[in-house]
Amino acid sequence: MSEQVTGLELTCQEVHQYLMAYLERELPPREQAIIDAHLAICVDCVNYLATYQQTVSMARSACANAPVAPIPADLVQAIVAARNVK
Amino acid sequence: MSVLSTDADREREEEASLLERLRAGDERSFEQLVMLHGGAMLAVIRRMLGHDADSQDCLQDAFTSAFKALGSFQGESRLGTWLHRIAVNAALMKIRSRKRRPERPIEDLLPRYQADGHRETPVPQWAVAQDVTAIDEDTRQVVRHCIAELPETFRVVLMLRDIEECSTEETSRLLEISVANVKTRLHRARQALRELLDRHLGEP
Repeated sequence: MSEQVTGLELTCQEVHQYLMAYLERELPPREQAIIDAHLAICVDCVNYLATYQQTVSMARSACANAPVAPIPADLVQAIVAARNVK
Repeated sequence: MSVLSTDADREREEEASLLERLRAGDERSFEQLVMLHGGAMLAVIRRMLGHDADSQDCLQDAFTSAFKALGSFQGESRLGTWLHRIAVNAALMKIRSRKRRPERPIEDLLPRYQADGHRETPVPQWAVAQDVTAIDEDTRQVVRHCIAELPETFRVVLMLRDIEECSTEETSRLLEISVANVKTRLHRARQALRELLDRHLGEP
């Protein structure tokens, strides 16, 4: 029978500190359970978790969908010319 | 469906033809390769290096490596994918070779807490769609701008892990830092980026 946890064993600061390990499920079961319990009673940490996950997905999406500008013609020429020099 | 596969087939054929001409040393084909892929490679390099003046030099280094390695390119991936990896490696080489610059301390960007462990300010929800595919270009631009604000030591880890999707172990090897250090830097980079985005996206 696992020991009962309340979620108050960790502060919000500690929850945020362990968040990546929690999401990767790298924490021991008791710590995972404490954070689960904390998230059940703390709106701030729920919002923090949601925006932390949004940060990762938005960063990926923003970079994957970045507009690509053509490179300047003189740079194209410099790159091709450098090939001939070497 | 059939239209898509036809387009993909045509792209592959064009790529095979370009590769053949490159290997034959056709001068025009090198120019075509640079014009076709240079813009995307420069964008990747700029994200890694933080939009600095080294980016164009770095692109040149990347193409020099690519031209040398063309003979060994087996076509196991698309040309663009192969060149993308070369651009990432060139940016990492540039970072390793240049003098370490003073960076903004990451602590300046991390969340602040009261003595009891609560945040100094409440954590707002963000006024953006949960589905990232529905996010507009203005918001994406804000995100890219915020990534550029991260100190290089942390930005590079975020780029490799979250954008390039390298494993923790691969990132550790590429940056010559421990696995534990990769994890610590990644988490701090994400937290710092979250704080920066909070200023733009947090609901009042």
